[in-house]
Amino acid sequence: MTYHNLLFTLAVLFALWAVMAKKLLTSAIMLALLSVTVSLIFFNLGAPWAGVFELSVCAGLITVLFIGAVSLIRAVEEKHPESRAPFNALPLAAAIFAIAGWFYLPAFFDELASWRRLAESSGTIGAALWDLRRPDILGQVLMLAAGVFVIKSVFPRRTEK
Amino acid sequence: MSIFALDWYMIALLMFIGFYCMLASRSIVRQLIGLEIVSKAAMLTVISAGALTANLVIAQALLITMIVIEVVVVAAGLALLVKNFRVNGNADIWKLDSLKG
Repeated sequence: MTYHNLLFTLAVLFALWAVMAKKLLTSAIMLALLSVTVSLIFFNLGAPWAGVFELSVCAGLITVLFIGAVSLIRAVEEKHPESRAPFNALPLAAAIFAIAGWFYLPAFFDELASWRRLAESSGTIGAALWDLRRPDILGQVLMLAAGVFVIKSVFPRRTEK
Repeated sequence: MSIFALDWYMIALLMFIGFYCMLASRSIVRQLIGLEIVSKAAMLTVISAGALTANLVIAQALLITMIVIEVVVVAAGLALLVKNFRVNGNADIWKLDSLKG
């Protein structure tokens, strides 16, 4: 129980750090740590497949993409940084939201949780993925193809005139 | 208060931080970082709801689809960032309309 709450607190702290960090590289690394914490929460909730995907794709691949993009634009970003005032005000805004939400949100979520209907057991993850949700696999393949087309249309090959 | 209500309270806080980042910043990288934080909160909600209803199998199958979509969105957003940087020399979200053909 305590470990579970500690992981959620860590996730919020890493998110705050990622938003407030002055350097974009620090933000990208904190985002990776947030992903690691979220995947630990998945493992803790009993969802190992989701945890493995989160750890390999979100903490690995997306961090590499972010660090690659940040290293391209870093010199100019450091020369003309954004105004820091809105980011320095974030802890205050988050604290106001947390205190105001404490009076309403947990009661609402408790009521929401009381409406649950327990599901029938639906077998293994393999059966769910390949039998029950096969259209999802097709959707994923189409989504990846769409991503490839976006990259290709954003960076067209230069043709000689 | 149940443990799920406390989890969802933290998830709401995480989502607030992500939305704040997207509202406060004009840099495309920070917009994407805010989007990532919001999508992490959404993923936590899906898995937490799956654990609540004892139906983690379907929740995990849905979450794998979400992760694939998230990767494609981030890759497309970063490609736009690099293109915008080559055209305008900065990463300002308000300069994106200069990319129109």
